[in-house]
Amino acid sequence: MVSIAEVQDRIFKALADPSRRAIFEALALRGGEAAVKDLTARFDISQPAVSQHLAALKDAGLVRGRREGRCAYYRLEPRGMKPLIDWIAHYRAFWTEHVDRLEQLLERMDT
Amino acid sequence: MNPNDKSAPSTGDSLSMEFELPHAPEKVWRALTDAALLAEWLLPVFDFKLDPGAAFTFRTQAFPGWDGTVNCRMLEIEKHRKLSYTWSVPFLDTVVTFTLAPERGGAGTRLTIVQSGFKPDQKREFGGARYGWTMMGGKLADLLGRMP
Repeated sequence: MVSIAEVQDRIFKALADPSRRAIFEALALRGGEAAVKDLTARFDISQPAVSQHLAALKDAGLVRGRREGRCAYYRLEPRGMKPLIDWIAHYRAFWTEHVDRLEQLLERMDT
Repeated sequence: MNPNDKSAPSTGDSLSMEFELPHAPEKVWRALTDAALLAEWLLPVFDFKLDPGAAFTFRTQAFPGWDGTVNCRMLEIEKHRKLSYTWSVPFLDTVVTFTLAPERGGAGTRLTIVQSGFKPDQKREFGGARYGWTMMGGKLADLLGRMP
């Protein structure tokens, strides 16, 4: 099982690249599906590069793609950002772990 | 799971946890308010001051696109009883509140940690120097807000 932290890490990494962020944002603004060739027309990068960025976004679970003949289409994965905003589970583990450390510290402190 | 965690299930947009500590509230208070001690059990802290409104930061693990800074602002200070400050990271502004209640005639402490505000921030303009995180127009923030 992949931990929340790992998934968050993957999302942060995928979005750390400015070109990927721009592509992700373009898909978000569009709201629906976009053809890779239309996305390529909007950016100053080659179609293979756009495809590569989309593949990275897909690996991070942020977009999904389908192929129709020679055309590839992508759209936002609606739940893709959820792991990043699944804060509560993350912070429950965070505080539990750190209060354990607090207890150890209190044992070491005098009075 | 910490065996001392007697938390009520957390609901909605807040997390609530309770811990029984076999130490006096005054001692627990020191661990919560001394920068050197905070660094030992929580995270390295910078500019920590017990003044309402004071801004300070914690430093946690960095990610590409985020330097790991947690931005905080002191809200409430009730010596030996209550400490509350904001806790802001990319996409999220929360408030953390520590409440200390004496137990066993002051020999122990019931420590309650409540973190509230677990909703993606829709008001903030994402990006800018604050987090070194340069994405997100309003549309995407709306989208995050509508997500389950």
